[in-house]
Amino acid sequence: MNAIEIKDLWKSYGDVKALRGVSLEIKEGEIFALLGPNGAGKTTLIRILAEGLGYDKGEIRIFGEKLSKKTARLIGYVPQESIAYDLLTVKENLEFYADLYDAPKDKIDALIERFELPAKKKAKELSGGFKRRLNLAISLLYDPKILILDEPSTGLDVPSRRKLWELIESFKEEGKTILLATHYMEEAEALADRIAIMNEGKVIAIGTADELKALIGEESIIQVEGLLKGIEKLREEFPKLIEKDGILRIQVKNPRESLPRIVEILISQGSEIKGVKVEEPTLEDVFLKLTGRGLE
Amino acid sequence: MKLRAIKGIILKDLKEIRREKMVLFWIFVFPLMWITLLGGIWGGESPPITVDVGVVYFNETTPFTAYDVVKIMENVTIEGVHIFNIRTYPSENSGVDALKHGKIDALIVFPKGFGANITRGLQAKVYVYFDKSDPQNYQIVSGAIKGFFSEFEKRMQEKSIEITFQYMERYMPKETSISIDEIKKHLLAMANPLVLEEREVKGETASAIQFYVTSFIGIQFLFATMISIGAGTLEEIEKGTLRRIAASPATAWDFLIGKMLSTFITIMVSIFVGITYAKLVFGETVFPSPLGWLIIFIAAVFSMSLGLAIAMGTRSIKATNAIVNLISMPLLFLAAIVIPESILPEWARPIANYFPLGRALKDLRLLELYHRPASEIMPDVLWLALGSFCMLVIAVLLYNWAVKRLK
Repeated sequence: MNAIEIKDLWKSYGDVKALRGVSLEIKEGEIFALLGPNGAGKTTLIRILAEGLGYDKGEIRIFGEKLSKKTARLIGYVPQESIAYDLLTVKENLEFYADLYDAPKDKIDALIERFELPAKKKAKELSGGFKRRLNLAISLLYDPKILILDEPSTGLDVPSRRKLWELIESFKEEGKTILLATHYMEEAEALADRIAIMNEGKVIAIGTADELKALIGEESIIQVEGLLKGIEKLREEFPKLIEKDGILRIQVKNPRESLPRIVEILISQGSEIKGVKVEEPTLEDVFLKLTGRGLE
Repeated sequence: MKLRAIKGIILKDLKEIRREKMVLFWIFVFPLMWITLLGGIWGGESPPITVDVGVVYFNETTPFTAYDVVKIMENVTIEGVHIFNIRTYPSENSGVDALKHGKIDALIVFPKGFGANITRGLQAKVYVYFDKSDPQNYQIVSGAIKGFFSEFEKRMQEKSIEITFQYMERYMPKETSISIDEIKKHLLAMANPLVLEEREVKGETASAIQFYVTSFIGIQFLFATMISIGAGTLEEIEKGTLRRIAASPATAWDFLIGKMLSTFITIMVSIFVGITYAKLVFGETVFPSPLGWLIIFIAAVFSMSLGLAIAMGTRSIKATNAIVNLISMPLLFLAAIVIPESILPEWARPIANYFPLGRALKDLRLLELYHRPASEIMPDVLWLALGSFCMLVIAVLLYNWAVKRLK
């Protein structure tokens, strides 16, 4: 059974079209990632599902029923920003949201234990990782069947991110359906059963990570590292190119022919190349192939 | 209506308030400061006023002189306090100059021949200069000086009659159709046709402390209540928690009722602190009757609704605070919150009577300080309740509009 069904969803803010006919089917019990750069429409889609944000056109069904205040209770939402009240302790925050959602209070202690939260600490004293865990605990108070997470690991350090991923995987084991919006391809690849790539308010591809990578076809990725100059000149000849943190990733059909040419152009432009390798494509390469630009 | 959600919002707000230092200042410290400051300055019995009087007189050798009048003036006291503080000036010009520069409140000039005229039983002139630039001060000073001379004149008449009696007893024939006592009575009545006797009654009017306790209640309506709910709701919007609450099963009404009740409880605590403190420190206070509390509740609803409407209109905490201050500051005076209506200029009185918070406070004072019957206040209370309800509806509409804009 589909946990979430979205058909031809449109939403605009004035003249800006945030969603342009999005259609999705998310199966019960799967982790589904929405991958796309900022402004792709991920947060708008999530806010429509979790916060009752209005939309212009389309249809949304949750476990077969139309989205409403009643079905909203089946959805737990973990937004990017903390929803805890700074002056309240962790436990008091959980108690407040339990009252708000009419959820049983006897789950609070178990949630505090599961997420290893400091019950008596005020929310303002928590680190980013703990705040995110508190958000998670709040969204699980009324035991929703669907969990929606908006950019869950943004701003977290590596250990906190790993801890969070473990928790997300444990929710799946409990049978929850998870919708995850992220612009980190590693996160989508590590957690998601299926991924929808979004760009400019549209879903441009859906599938497993392998299915999406297959879209690259026969193409290979040449990765060049170093003090690089003349990238624009290189782009004229090799348009499928992403540059991030001093690393160039270039999609080519024939690496044997292309590699010497790429090195030649870069050196002629004054680059100091430290390393060159031929790699497997990533989701970012898929995004590049589909949109002609990088994820960030 | 979800009672558990409402209870949750109230408890959450009260916990936050308890931990917010600025709010604690307004709830607990401000009432104590207000009552202490104003009670200390204007509370208790006010002493009789002393008038600085300059005098100019000339040396005379007659049995009774201007100097004797000045001596009598110096000795006039009320409740042990000397009323006139006399300063002697060598000339009329120097005295007038002192009056012009505010060194004295009035100048009395006894011209040459004053003593001689009085001694000979002739009319004697006295010139009194007043500075009328401050009408209130003029009223007090002229009242004191004219009162003194009126009393002095009466005593002189009595003295002159006393002398007449001595002559009558000495020279009038004993056998007359009318007795000397009868004639004395008539002469006395001519000098003093009315006998005014002062009798003291302890009035039931409000004391300064009681007045300032009610002022403090009014200030809480105008500032704390309005800002508290407006800023509180905007904080929820800015933080993103209102979106979350709006997405929860709780309705807009649940949220607003919870928010208003927590604000009301906070203000009630603050009012209770002020009332109790006045009683403990100054020995008097105003503890409202049930109708008084109802008026406070209605005024609080109006104030909270106005604060919420402003906040939802501006959707900015800074702008809300600025507008609330802009409205409240002049209204503290114009709506007779911190000053009595009796000293308001004529054009400002309608504000005190028709601005709902001013009117509510006036009704509270009439009820609690001047002990007017409830039946006299009730029609006002009904109008106030209607006004507050209308304001509440406007606030809710604006709140819904703001929440829709969030979505």
